[in-house]
Amino acid sequence: MPYHFTLSMIPLALSVLVSGALALYTWQNRRAIGATPFALMMLMLYEWEICYIFQLAGTDAVTKVFWDKLMFLGVVATPVAWLAFALEYTRRKTWINPRRLAMLSIIPAFTILLLLTNDLHHLFWAKAALSSEGGFLHLDNINGPWFWVHTIYSYTLIMVGLVLIVRALLRWPAQYRGQMTWILLATVTPFVANIIFIFRIIPILIDVTPFAFTLTGLGLAFALFHHRLLDLAPIARDIVIDGMKDGMIVLDANQRIVDINRAAQQMIGLSSEPVPIGKPLADVLSAWPNLIERYHNVLETKDEISFGEGETRRWYELNLSALLDENNSLIGQVATVRNISDRKQAESQLLESEARFRQIVENASDVIYRVDSHGYVIYANPATMRILGYGSEKDVVGRHYLELVAPQARHKVKRAYEHQFVSKTPNTYHELPIIAADGSETWLGQNVQLIYEGDRIIGFQALARDITAIKQAHDALRLARDQALEANLAKTRLLSKVSHELRTPLGGILGYAELLQRDTFGQLNEKQQKAASEIIDSTEYLANMVNELLDEAQLRSSTTTLHERVFSPSTLIQQAISGIDILAQNKGLEFSSYIDPNLPQGIYGDDQRIRQIIINLTGNALKFTKEGSVHLTVTCHNENYWGIQVTDTGIGIPKEAQDAIFEPFQQVHSEVTRDNRGIGLGLSIAKQLIELMNGKIVLESEPGRGSTFTVLLPIRAVG
Amino acid sequence: MTTKPCALIIEDDPKLNQIITLTLQTDFDLESCVDGNTAMDLLGNFVPQIVILDLNIPGVSGREILTHIRSDKRLWRTRVIVTTADNRQAEILQNEVDIVLLKPVSPMQLRELALRISSMQ
Repeated sequence: MPYHFTLSMIPLALSVLVSGALALYTWQNRRAIGATPFALMMLMLYEWEICYIFQLAGTDAVTKVFWDKLMFLGVVATPVAWLAFALEYTRRKTWINPRRLAMLSIIPAFTILLLLTNDLHHLFWAKAALSSEGGFLHLDNINGPWFWVHTIYSYTLIMVGLVLIVRALLRWPAQYRGQMTWILLATVTPFVANIIFIFRIIPILIDVTPFAFTLTGLGLAFALFHHRLLDLAPIARDIVIDGMKDGMIVLDANQRIVDINRAAQQMIGLSSEPVPIGKPLADVLSAWPNLIERYHNVLETKDEISFGEGETRRWYELNLSALLDENNSLIGQVATVRNISDRKQAESQLLESEARFRQIVENASDVIYRVDSHGYVIYANPATMRILGYGSEKDVVGRHYLELVAPQARHKVKRAYEHQFVSKTPNTYHELPIIAADGSETWLGQNVQLIYEGDRIIGFQALARDITAIKQAHDALRLARDQALEANLAKTRLLSKVSHELRTPLGGILGYAELLQRDTFGQLNEKQQKAASEIIDSTEYLANMVNELLDEAQLRSSTTTLHERVFSPSTLIQQAISGIDILAQNKGLEFSSYIDPNLPQGIYGDDQRIRQIIINLTGNALKFTKEGSVHLTVTCHNENYWGIQVTDTGIGIPKEAQDAIFEPFQQVHSEVTRDNRGIGLGLSIAKQLIELMNGKIVLESEPGRGSTFTVLLPIRAVG
Repeated sequence: MTTKPCALIIEDDPKLNQIITLTLQTDFDLESCVDGNTAMDLLGNFVPQIVILDLNIPGVSGREILTHIRSDKRLWRTRVIVTTADNRQAEILQNEVDIVLLKPVSPMQLRELALRISSMQ
């Protein structure tokens, strides 16, 4: 096969090299979207161009026809690869499957078949001819009908791919417009070239279509690899913008929709309809004419809008921003719409609850107010004005709280609240006099709490009540109590003085009577002796009464003190009952005693007073028992108490009188009292002494059956 | 004839003073006075076995006399019987002196006690 290569073929050869290199490079980077079909397309182009060069260089018809036929392998495959690329590049890869590819390849395969068998039927080329122009030999075939089928089919595939890519490019953000233009130009170039060649619009001898395709490939490869961002950005956009919960609509300067995300479509209610790109906003939002009217001439705004009523009312936050180009002229607007129904609902609930609390505070009958950290009143409820007699809030709010406090109390009040502030005491209660509008004093009992903002105290809040009336009553009560105490003390002093002053003359009476009885002043006869004895008896009774009166008076005024020491309880009891035996015998009564051997050897206490208690109780029992016995038992009650029990067979005490007998000057049985002189202080003194010792006394008694007094005293045993 | 023990009676009430004197004169050699100052003078001149002391007296008080007796080495063997009309004072002195008697004092009881403690020395 003879060839003749000329210098004019060098650009074509370069183009072949570019195609081959692109095929190789793209194949190596086939992970990029659309790269695999693109590499295939460039390979087909490469084949096409090589065969074409050899066809051109061939110097006889046989050579030329051979290469020409071989060339068609690339020619028919390139559009199919192009379509596959366009599908994959515009995210329609799923559309491509072997079956569909096979169907797409039917016509190209048939074309090749017809081409190879053209000599038999001439369906592809009606006539193959060589012509020589300018000393250059070239094929000048007359195309048969199938050639046109092939051409139309190829164009259809290329057109479909082109439309897919152009549509995708149109959706790209504005900042990619420059690159988009270049890609478009690159894509359109082979068409122009091919149309020129087929229809011989310009008399050129060679077909530049494959070389134009190389340019296309260059442009697309540049887009594919250099601006890989283009692959990612749309995906990112899809994920971010369509995934947003907020609706987003991009408008051009004519209020046409340039972009709208899924959320916005759902909000408008167009989720099932095709994306309304390019439609005027007014058409899309025709259901809400008010909205269009309201924001028609608004470039930028932030607003809250609502749809629906009552429970189904939905709230949205509309954010409208103008898009400006570098010359600050308007090129569009972006609207974002956020569903704020939940927030609005929370806000309205907050408002509602605030109103509820406000109502409570405003209708409260107690004073409620707040002061800032400097002490200035920042809020006061109506009760404050009412109770203090002020006309309006202005008379109170803005004033320092100390101005409202009565001058004599200011210092104390100031110190109290400064202390609360410094010590961070959460809650205090103070009573303080307030100066009312008319100058009168109103007493408030107020609880004050610290108000915090984070860690910082920003003021106080006070809840106060008018306690003037309570205060007055309280003061009156205290005065009465003081007076009563004073009277009691005076009574005690009087009793003490009286007792003291009585003892000295009693000493004289007793002394002289005894001296008389002892015949110091001469021999007395029997009657005189008896008289002297009567004087002595009466004096002793009187002296005893004075002692009891004084004890009672001192116990009543709580001035009795115990003189405690360690003592032996059994010794004490022996001493106490030494005189009682004789008294019982004189009355014809039986007296017995039992001392528990388990009693501690030493007990800490006031032995004199305990002795007084025992004497009082046994004396009392003897006094009210006409016949029978009196029994004294001293036991160790438990580890904490020891007990003194006095039981008699006397007249007993009725239930209703059992509490009263411990009261001073109380005696139940008047007929007994006539025979037994006494002023009824013994039990009262005993009970008070027992209680002073932290002990207790219990009485069990039935009229006619006798009484039992049980005394329990705490054991403070000594080691 | 054995020497009787010495007793000093300090009692401002003349009647009570006389009663005590009459009670004790057969068994004791007696000195008596009605105020504190005289009592202090007397105590400077002789050492009684017993002092019958009323707490409530004019001049130097009964308590001061008691303190003096307790601090004067010469008087270390002197026993003190206090008589008082104040039961609180009686309680307080209980542990400080030999015997405290709350008025009215029975002369017989006083004589018995005085004899008992004077014979103890």
